[in-house]
Amino acid sequence: MAASESTISGVQPLRAGEGNSFLWRRLHSLSGIIPIGAFLLEHFLSNAAAIQGPAAYAEQVRFLNSLPLVPVLEFFGIYLPITYHGLYGIYIWLRGKNNVTEYPWTGNWLYTSQRWTGIVAFLYMGYHVYTQRFSGIHLGTHPEAAFGKVQAELLNPWILAFYVAGIVAASWHFAYGVWLFCAKWGITTGQRAQKWLGYICLLLAIALIGGGLATLAAFRSAPVQSPASQVETQLR
Amino acid sequence: MATATAKTVQIKIKRQDAPAGNPHWEEYELPWRAGMNVISSLMEIAATGQTKDGHETSAITYDANCLEEVCGSCAMVINGKVRMACSALIDKLDQPITVEPLKKFPVVRDLRVDRSVLFENLKRVKAWVPLDGTYDLGEGPRQSMTLQEELYPISRCISCCSCMEACPQFNDDTNFVGAATIAQVKLFNSHPTGESLKRERLDALMGDGGIHECGYAQNCVEVCPKEIQLTKAISEVSRDVMVQAVGDLFRK
Ligand code: SF4
Ligand code: SF4
Ligand code: FES
Repeated sequence: MAASESTISGVQPLRAGEGNSFLWRRLHSLSGIIPIGAFLLEHFLSNAAAIQGPAAYAEQVRFLNSLPLVPVLEFFGIYLPITYHGLYGIYIWLRGKNNVTEYPWTGNWLYTSQRWTGIVAFLYMGYHVYTQRFSGIHLGTHPEAAFGKVQAELLNPWILAFYVAGIVAASWHFAYGVWLFCAKWGITTGQRAQKWLGYICLLLAIALIGGGLATLAAFRSAPVQSPASQVETQLR
Repeated sequence: MATATAKTVQIKIKRQDAPAGNPHWEEYELPWRAGMNVISSLMEIAATGQTKDGHETSAITYDANCLEEVCGSCAMVINGKVRMACSALIDKLDQPITVEPLKKFPVVRDLRVDRSVLFENLKRVKAWVPLDGTYDLGEGPRQSMTLQEELYPISRCISCCSCMEACPQFNDDTNFVGAATIAQVKLFNSHPTGESLKRERLDALMGDGGIHECGYAQNCVEVCPKEIQLTKAISEVSRDVMVQAVGDLFRK
């Protein structure tokens, strides 16, 4: 194979049989669904426990931290895939030649929005993991402080806005990602099937955004818990 | 709509003398006539040999042949979007009409570009029905009506490269193969005789610049003058490629 010496200028022909981009690209696509998408759903659902109040929320955090091998699950199920998906996604973005101004069609807008929502969600996740997981009181050992820790952060309107942006971006990116996955892996191929899946994914996006915002509202409307920092000082 | 004022047609054309030449715009004004299209306007400009302000100018180089949207040679960027110049009716275009060469292909001169990358790609996926030609094979296998109906539209591809021009993923960073070639893989993989090269075609599409570079912007299917269901072809071939890739993990 691989007789790909080409004498033409401009965009080069297919390099049949060469390179590993197929593997990396498909891994990127798959990692968005499993494990990242699966974790996203779990995370939205777990956090929705906040709607039932601080006690239920603490119970949920306790349960998750009682799972075996939490650090291993976190690393291989969350950090590694998200880092890969995010960085490779930026690489994909940089290599695309966006032309939505010339061709302002729905599919092209979605293509563009997938890149912007991706970067917003990625930056948000970096911040969110840092503040909630790697700084302040450790919730794995102090699940009862979880509600107050999130609440303390959300008291700042700018951070609240960032959370809203993160939730909307991640929800949209995931829902359209499901659609893309089904198209790219040949699960939905025809126009009718792709249209219907589009509606389903739109509902999924709305449900995730609605659930996420309701969760944020629960943190904001509940009476202010003793701030995490205070609990932390008490513990020291 | 054509501005009826004095019944003229205003056209701006991006010209370039040589592959490395400086692109520049020239303006032209033509008397309006019923049923004009971009190619017929180019012919009239050639006849007068004058720009709008009366300067004499060289003949504009461009590709066109059939003038009925079947040869595929006249794809140009007209009013910012790729389309076939011979079917671009002047009365349906906003004026001044801008005409540019395709932006993703090397310019040879003026509106003429080099589209050999598509031919190369078709060769690399073996987009043909293999026949050795040394003896008479008799009649080919029959194709069902359903299959014919599915494949005939794909066989109407005119290699105009519009799908590639409009694709955000088709560029010199990705060197993506583009929708047309993928659709032809579907055509020949579904052909009862062409099928014998299916493995090789799918293998080729796993190479760098292969089918996985598609980001589903779906511009290809919007611009294809032959209304080929390109995204459907991409999804189906994508599945075949995936099935083969996973199978190879166990086979090879
Ligand atoms: S669907 Fe794929 S091939 Fe078609 S324009 Fe979009 S990225 Fe290009
Ligand atoms: S698939 Fe359509 S747009 Fe692409 S080269 Fe063929 S006819 Fe032109
Ligand atoms: S001249 Fe043949 S397609 Fe336009």
